[in-house]
Amino acid sequence: MKKWHLRIRNWMVDYLALPSDVLLELPRLTMIGNFHLYIENHKGLETYSETELKLKTTNGYVQILGRSFVLKQMFSDEILLEGEIEKINYISAD
Amino acid sequence: MRIEKGSFMTGYVEIVVIGEYPERFLQKCTTNGIVLWDIKKVKDHECTAMAQLKDVKKIKNLRHRTHYKIRFKSRYGIPFMNKRLTKKKPLIFGLFLSVLLFVVLSNMIWQVTVEGVPEELENQIREQLTSYGIFPGAFTFTMESPNQIQQSLLEDIPELLWIGVDKKGTSMHLEGVEKLIIKEEEPKSPSHLIAGKNGVIKNMYVKTGLPQVNVNDFVEKGTVLVSGAIEKPHNEDEDDAEFEYVAAEGEVIAVTWYRVDVVVSLEAEHIELTGNMEENYRLRIGSLSIPLWPWKSEGFANEMSEVEENQLKIFGWELPIYFIKENKMESILEFSDRSREEAVEVGINQAKSDLLRTLGPEAEIITEKVLQQTLERGKVILSLYFTVEENIAVEQPLN
Repeated sequence: MKKWHLRIRNWMVDYLALPSDVLLELPRLTMIGNFHLYIENHKGLETYSETELKLKTTNGYVQILGRSFVLKQMFSDEILLEGEIEKINYISAD
Repeated sequence: MRIEKGSFMTGYVEIVVIGEYPERFLQKCTTNGIVLWDIKKVKDHECTAMAQLKDVKKIKNLRHRTHYKIRFKSRYGIPFMNKRLTKKKPLIFGLFLSVLLFVVLSNMIWQVTVEGVPEELENQIREQLTSYGIFPGAFTFTMESPNQIQQSLLEDIPELLWIGVDKKGTSMHLEGVEKLIIKEEEPKSPSHLIAGKNGVIKNMYVKTGLPQVNVNDFVEKGTVLVSGAIEKPHNEDEDDAEFEYVAAEGEVIAVTWYRVDVVVSLEAEHIELTGNMEENYRLRIGSLSIPLWPWKSEGFANEMSEVEENQLKIFGWELPIYFIKENKMESILEFSDRSREEAVEVGINQAKSDLLRTLGPEAEIITEKVLQQTLERGKVILSLYFTVEENIAVEQPLN
């Protein structure tokens, strides 16, 4: 059932040229250099420290590693991260 | 940040969240619609974040029944500033007072300048202005408009031809033009110059007319010195001469002499200072005089005073406040005797100055001689003889 749902969405992204982040409920990460990272459409904050930020997504986590992190802005599903970003890892829930 | 600036008006606070995974509490806040910014993890179990003042209640509610602890660290924005200010009443009072003072002082006339008129007229204008209520130190609230002032000045001072009144901030600038009354010179009627006194002529300066006397002539009072009747050149055949009549003009300097009697007392009185002095300091604002030191001036029975008035200035501005220093000095009337010689000298000087006063500034005393001196009941009676050089010419109309 879920797979079928996903398939239709994938088809819509491909053929109707709709933005994938909205339809697929995936996080959208916008990065400026290595010091600003704008994360939209996440599903919640898991952990945050000066060196790590871990966010929930639909199918797993996004992990951002770096140094001297500050959350410049925080809304319910948007975060603006400032700091020295070194790595972004996608960790699947499985 | 954009949020931060907007929040300055409504106020914002810095909160500290203490507990395990403090970021999860912050996430809980944001999912409930609370905006947070500048989130920092200070320690493992401590997060600081900024939140708007209106969300504080919500945050407190969310904290309820959780293991987190919340502290409010600092407060920013106008609502808090207001609160702080109301606690500082003297400051607000001072601020209000300074504004009031500024308003009052800027509504005062600080300077009145009058230009383009002689001093006499300037003083008259100033006097009039004072009677209208315009002087350094006066308030501008009750003042008439420059146009009205101009009108009434022109009405009240007939010598003024025109006056411009310009008010620039706290100073009044007046520029006047004096009415010059030029008398048309009447053509002089023909006249002789005759001697006003007896004398020996020393010099003659004749502008118009025919001199009738010579230098070193002795003239009596009434003698015609310069004639206004000039004989016209005529043919020798005709007998009767024709005259042209002019107003004789000129100066005839002659040596004249005077006998003056003077009485000089041997006893002289003069004022002497005892050396007792009292210094008084006052401030004068307009017509108001405030004693500074001493509060109550005792003064002396007989006193002379020296007054020194200084205008206060700040950065070249002349304030309508005057600092007055008055020295009161005790004096006593002293009587002293003088010798006969001294009395004679005093008498001569007195006679000289009296004589010069009656003769006018052009006269010059050449010699002086004591004819007679007698001592009578403590007084010296002097009989003096002066020779003077002066203009003796007097106009006499010709009929």
